Amino acid sequence: MSQVGQVVGILRKLNGEYQSSTPKKLKLIDAYLVYVLLTGIVQFAYCLLVGTFPFNSFLSGFISTVGCFVLAASLRIQLNKANQSVFNVSPERAFADFVFAHIILHLVVVNFIG
Amino acid sequence: MTSTSLMMIILVILPFYSWCATPTVAANLSPANIDGLKAQFQTAMKSFSDVASIHYTLAGIKELGVVPPDTYCNDIKKLVDKSDVESIFHATEAARALANCKLPAEEYRALLTSTLQSDKSTTAEVYYAVRASVNLGLNVDESRVEKRLNALAKTDDSVASQGYALLTGAQLSQPIAKFYADTINDLVQQADEVDGRTLQYEGGVGTTALLVNAFYEVAEKAGVPVKIDPKQLIKFASYFSTKRHVATLRSAYYLTKVFKYLSDRKNTIPVVVSRTTPAAVSAQNPSVFVSVSNLFGQPVGEIFVVAESAKRKEDGAVVISKQKLTAKDSTSSIFELPFYDAKIPRGFYTIHLTLTPRGDEKLIGLTDNTIEVKVTSEAALENAELNVADRDSTAQAKTHKLTYPNALSEKLDLHSHQKLIIKFQVKDKRTGEYVRTQQAFIRFTNKKSKKEIIYLAEAVSGATAQYKAEMDLTSNAADFRYQSGAYDLVVIVGDSLLQNAFEWKVNDNVQLTFHEDSLADKNHQDLYLPRPEIIHQFRVEEKRPPTIVSLVFSGLTLLPLLILLVSWLRLGFNLSGMPLGLSPLVFHASHGAAFALMFVYWKYLDMFQTIRYLALISIPLFLAGHRVLAILAARREKKV
Repeated sequence: MSQVGQVVGILRKLNGEYQSSTPKKLKLIDAYLVYVLLTGIVQFAYCLLVGTFPFNSFLSGFISTVGCFVLAASLRIQLNKANQSVFNVSPERAFADFVFAHIILHLVVVNFIG
Repeated sequence: MTSTSLMMIILVILPFYSWCATPTVAANLSPANIDGLKAQFQTAMKSFSDVASIHYTLAGIKELGVVPPDTYCNDIKKLVDKSDVESIFHATEAARALANCKLPAEEYRALLTSTLQSDKSTTAEVYYAVRASVNLGLNVDESRVEKRLNALAKTDDSVASQGYALLTGAQLSQPIAKFYADTINDLVQQADEVDGRTLQYEGGVGTTALLVNAFYEVAEKAGVPVKIDPKQLIKFASYFSTKRHVATLRSAYYLTKVFKYLSDRKNTIPVVVSRTTPAAVSAQNPSVFVSVSNLFGQPVGEIFVVAESAKRKEDGAVVISKQKLTAKDSTSSIFELPFYDAKIPRGFYTIHLTLTPRGDEKLIGLTDNTIEVKVTSEAALENAELNVADRDSTAQAKTHKLTYPNALSEKLDLHSHQKLIIKFQVKDKRTGEYVRTQQAFIRFTNKKSKKEIIYLAEAVSGATAQYKAEMDLTSNAADFRYQSGAYDLVVIVGDSLLQNAFEWKVNDNVQLTFHEDSLADKNHQDLYLPRPEIIHQFRVEEKRPPTIVSLVFSGLTLLPLLILLVSWLRLGFNLSGMPLGLSPLVFHASHGAAFALMFVYWKYLDMFQTIRYLALISIPLFLAGHRVLAILAARREKKV
């Protein structure tokens, strides 16, 4: 019982920290990440439910969500001012990379979706 | 005892029977099929289509002693082709066969002369021209012909050409004929030997007969006997005597002429020895009758026949030595050899005969003549009995004694725990010994379906030679396809050396009851009927979920988008910082176009087209995007 209480307490503290210290831009990206995650979960649940036919469609859809998630996460990392020491790119450059990578990703996904 | 395939047995028996049925491969000659040749000519006489057929038929049938009527003269005149020397040849030969048929010689003279004078005529054409001229009574320039033949001998050395040269020589004067007669031996050496027994020339029976005929014709004209080694002459005769049926009239004609020459007393005659009685020697046919004749079937004069030896095929035992055959008629053409004797056991025998002519006839083929006979005996079935026993205990066997040819009158009832055994012995009535036979079976016939199930009776080794056939209702049930019911039971015994065979109906009401259910008979007819049609089955599509489910999930997938929009609005997403102007407009437009292209790619395009369009769109996209981002960067710099 106390363990559950401890976990709940930690989570509440985490949430509070997050809400206060994260800039708005990053929060927007986090919301996007959650959206992509949910979409991926729905697709996977569907696959588990009705089977993998047609497999290529499932794969492309799922990989699309995974790719979007990864690209958005990398954009977030690059935009986070706390990481500016490691990455030496401007936010605009990060965004341009994001757009370019997305075009490639979508091209591949649509090719594979069949 | 076991059910063996009937086919296997027949394959073993068949060689024995076929040996008896077909004529054996001996050095013997057989008489010519004179009746067949005559019939062939007579059939051809019904209608003629060309002058060569008329020639061969009329001349052929005249050789056989039938004079054709003169009415054919008109046919000859109608069918002759005046521009062809071969046609003229056939016409003159055919006219010669008739009693009174005159052909207009003057019409042909020019062509015949030109053929003989030409340097391009072949040996055959030279022969045709010479013979036709002789037939028509025209003069022939012999020295010119001789020169032409010599020239041709150098260029054309085929046997046919040499044959025609001989035939031409036979038409010319005697010295020339003698010259050609001396070349006969060379020509004989050019013949092909087959199996060491026959001699022939390339070209089949027609060419061979024409050549041998040429030998005799030219030798006759030259006044010398035909100088052919007797061994080789026999081989030629052997070849001709095997030709029972010939396809063409030409072959038939020359074959007839050859047979005539080979039967002519003036020449060396091959002797034909053949058996006239059936092959089986028994108490009813105790003697073997042998006929001696020439190829034409005529007697050859007084002759003595001695059976040198008679050897049994199985073990080579010799049963006769130097026994004289008695002539049955005054013309010395039929001889008798008594063969059925207590001292001669059953078996297949080869009798070697030697012939000795009384006078100085020019006969060949007097040795190496063999006759094949078989000595059979009558048999009896003895000590036959039928046992019904229990499978497990052999002690309780119910035995029925059987006597051939009586059937067992009582009904036999057999169940699946019983077995049926039949025993018998086959005795040779003459010698009293028990023999083994080639065929010994018992046969069950299903009374309803008439299907036969046959089992082999096997003999124990030893002098008693008792045959035993067994049918076990459990282990052999599959042979009957478990069909219980009434069956006929027959014992079959046979042998090629037994005079009588047995098909003995032992019982006609054998009830067999099998333990298992009966199976239907295999329908062997169905093998050749169309089989059931195979309909191609495409790969079965995988099961898809119902449309509702997929639609629901598609909706569910779009749901997070709503959640995103709501959370963005909550977080304060706004477009206030969006720059306005051409570059942002172009950027957003091309960005949107890129996504639209993805959709179009999914629906309509292929990769190559998409890449091209994408390349087109990406140019403004990158240019505008760069400008917009530069604006944003500048704005950020300014703020900071």
